[in-house]
Amino acid sequence: MTQQAVIEATPAQPTLTGDEPADRPSDEALVADELLVEEVSIDGMCGVY
Amino acid sequence: MSTDPSGGGPALRFDLDRPWRVHDRVAVRPEPFGALLYHFGTRRLSFLKNATVLAVVRSLAEHPTARSACVAAGVPPAALPAYERALATLAESQMITERAAS
Repeated sequence: MTQQAVIEATPAQPTLTGDEPADRPSDEALVADELLVEEVSIDGMCGVY
Repeated sequence: MSTDPSGGGPALRFDLDRPWRVHDRVAVRPEPFGALLYHFGTRRLSFLKNATVLAVVRSLAEHPTARSACVAAGVPPAALPAYERALATLAESQMITERAAS
């Protein structure tokens, strides 16, 4: 049987909860400021190669 | 303009007014959230989190400066610092590299 490593190609995203206000203008700037690029290394992950 | 290392982020040096391109050993795969970059040399992954930053990165080689690539991709002036920091991060991880001015 062959085992395949799967990397989920989805970056981490913040979880929204129901008690957060719907419109928070400052959030847009925060997202644009910090989440344009997210980096990870796959070194050391088992089953990648 | 260079990234200001005193802004709280990583101390990166990136010049928006220089020509840049995607590194030869980097593959760009578009994804619903933006794109995934993989560097075959460093074995690092970078996630581009929206289509605009993907458009900027993809078009870097076609523009005389990173700034003009941002403008052509529709980045508003107020958002340029954020894109500059994003590109600085990509430069730091060798996803993009400065090229000779043409």
